[in-house]
Amino acid sequence: MAADPNKFAIFVNSPQNMRHVVGIANAAVKAGKQPMIFFTYKAIHLTKDSRFKALADMCGEENIAICADSYTCEGYDSVADIPAGLSNKQMRTQAFHGAQLEECGNYIVL
Amino acid sequence: MKILQVYRSEPNNDIKTLVGILNRDREADEFNLNVENPDYDMLVAKIIAADQTVCWW
Amino acid sequence: MESLKVYFLIANRMYGDGVRSGLGLAVENHYAFPVIMNGAFPPFSTYMKDNIAWVKDMEGSVYSCGAPSPDTCVDEEGDKLIEEISLEELGEALRDADYIIPYGLPKQTNEPPLSCAA
Repeated sequence: MAADPNKFAIFVNSPQNMRHVVGIANAAVKAGKQPMIFFTYKAIHLTKDSRFKALADMCGEENIAICADSYTCEGYDSVADIPAGLSNKQMRTQAFHGAQLEECGNYIVL
Repeated sequence: MKILQVYRSEPNNDIKTLVGILNRDREADEFNLNVENPDYDMLVAKIIAADQTVCWW
Repeated sequence: MESLKVYFLIANRMYGDGVRSGLGLAVENHYAFPVIMNGAFPPFSTYMKDNIAWVKDMEGSVYSCGAPSPDTCVDEEGDKLIEEISLEELGEALRDADYIIPYGLPKQTNEPPLSCAA
């Protein structure tokens, strides 16, 4: 599959860039792009940020996910404590990052 | 090849060296995220225009 | 989908997870190159060593840039699993990368206290 120029990937692995994640995702939507966001490693703590649910709702179920292993490693319960705005289908693996690389014509790391 | 260098913090000497090599003979642009109110619309436009974006720590 | 060359730059001692993230792409048929910068090595648990060996098996490589490759990360024959690369060599290699991922946090300027030193 060729990368879609209308999809915009944000690969989030730092826990200190939520304002940039939200700012870039909103700007991407304004520019007519579909954000596709993956939170991994210590960035999964950002799921507890009050802005996370609105971000998840904006992206939609197919286009936002977190690394379930990272979430569990950091002490959260990946069965009983699914982050607000997500379903258990969005508790994913690093393969979601692979899908970002393959599907998105635009890409930034935060 | 259009490359965009984005900085989340002040780049150190290692980053400056790598950026110098990466930008050689290429059309290069940059964006500083390490400000109070980044212009995210401008950043997204630059990412869309670039072939590759590197967002440094 | 063509296989992509993806470099993970690891500058912070807490971000050895970049090796796992690289391995995650390697098993998706991409080429992963985690680079540990300036001796910010993670603890070399059996899990970490296995991941580094697996990245190599998948035609990627784990590099050390700016510090000697550690003697504590070797294969069963005693050969070092991590290759050394200079900053200039890394820059040239990155020119050929499809994606460059500065992973996690920048390097700390202060030493960690004993309570969290690896």
